[in-house]
Amino acid sequence: MAGSELRVAIVGAGIGGLSLGIALRERGLRADVFEQAPALTEIGAAIALSANATREYARLGLVDELDVAATIPTELIYRDWRTGDRVAAHPVAKDDSYVRRFGAPYYGIHRADLQKTLSTAFGVQNLHLGCRLVNLVEQRDGVVLEFANGRAEHADLVVGADGVRSTVRRWITGADDAIYSGTSAFRGIVPTDNLPSLPDPHAIQFWMGPDAHLLHYAIGGAGESENFFAVVETPRIWPHEGSVADVPEDVPVASFRGWHPAVTEMIRAAASPIRWGLFAVRPLLRWYRGRVVVLGDAAHGMLPHHGQGANTSIEDAFALAALLADAVADDLEPVLARFQHLRRARTRRIQRSSWVTNSLLHLGAGPAVAARDAKVARFPDDFGWIHSYDVQQALAAGTVQA
Amino acid sequence: MQQDGVQQDGVLAGLAEVLTDVAGVDPAAVTPDARLADDLGIDSLTLVDVVVAAEDRFGVVIPDDDWARFVTVGDAVAHLERAMRLPR
Repeated sequence: MAGSELRVAIVGAGIGGLSLGIALRERGLRADVFEQAPALTEIGAAIALSANATREYARLGLVDELDVAATIPTELIYRDWRTGDRVAAHPVAKDDSYVRRFGAPYYGIHRADLQKTLSTAFGVQNLHLGCRLVNLVEQRDGVVLEFANGRAEHADLVVGADGVRSTVRRWITGADDAIYSGTSAFRGIVPTDNLPSLPDPHAIQFWMGPDAHLLHYAIGGAGESENFFAVVETPRIWPHEGSVADVPEDVPVASFRGWHPAVTEMIRAAASPIRWGLFAVRPLLRWYRGRVVVLGDAAHGMLPHHGQGANTSIEDAFALAALLADAVADDLEPVLARFQHLRRARTRRIQRSSWVTNSLLHLGAGPAVAARDAKVARFPDDFGWIHSYDVQQALAAGTVQA
Repeated sequence: MQQDGVQQDGVLAGLAEVLTDVAGVDPAAVTPDARLADDLGIDSLTLVDVVVAAEDRFGVVIPDDDWARFVTVGDAVAHLERAMRLPR
């Protein structure tokens, strides 16, 4: 097969990059992953993997390993910020509801555990650490990647999986298309035992209030830790160079003054005085230029309110791998065009929906609250399309699947 | 304004093809006054597919805040025309 000679260079060993590496290898293609960090260390944060991603991992036999490190939420619960009253609840693990509906599991998992599973599956032989990309040079028969450490590599195709502030995307579009959302987050991981006020510690829960919300879910094989993500509508303008900034120690808790003790207790227990600016990528017309393409946050960085940043990166990775399986090195354009067409529509829907959801979660009182409550009560019906998506089916259909 | 008239027909016809391909709309129903949701039955999710296909066809990005305000086919045509006149 001509395709087996294709040399793919992946920039970034995050979840999207490693998933692509594994998916390509499974299809008999060679892939090298170049990561700027000198070691694979994940920051202290977790993610929720949904069926649209876990069904792909299941096809590769990775789910048993993830299952050991993950917690399946009992329910998805929406609560009032002050009283803690349940606004709506939907079963997840209960009666196996989620798997029966969407065909694959929902996991809360530490990013480090996911990254370990993925990097172990990929192996070290084709994983190149300490390689920070500084330039791409197009040649007639490929692209040369130039790294800060002086190394240069030749590839038929370069895939930028290098995050919301992607270097590869800048090379494709010639601009910095990351935009600050006007919202920022405090996050942390706290032992569940330290949270006596928390009802239903093994549920995934949204606490919704005025101009802010807090999302949390349990992680670890026995739900022993709680991962939270607390979003506020400040600052209006992001004044910092990077996407993370130190804040005075009391700022995270003070931002949730008057909220239910379960919320303030969790934020206080994390003792993490760091603010994360939430950035998105403005919708791009082109995801590729020549033999260089982006996926994941680099292509469609989105607000995290549907928990789909990593999941859509995984979808991207498996879609691209499937399309590349039959590709020939000197005729990649049709493959990249098809990838872009399929994935741009899918991710645009979720990007948009995440944006709209932000304001839905940030209501305190008033007439809009009743409409909001009705909406979150319908959540699985209104947003089931996100979780029921099947990459392989969408590819087979050749069209944009809902 | 001959030029604009020609371009507008072109954009309207192109958008009608997109609506037919993506959403199965009867091309004859695609008139400037037709309302996307109420007359053509385009829900908000299908509208995203229409927007992405229209962007591909006309080579311009339609920002999310803009298309979210489209009510009629004419709104979309007017927006596309404006966007296509801007230097890219």
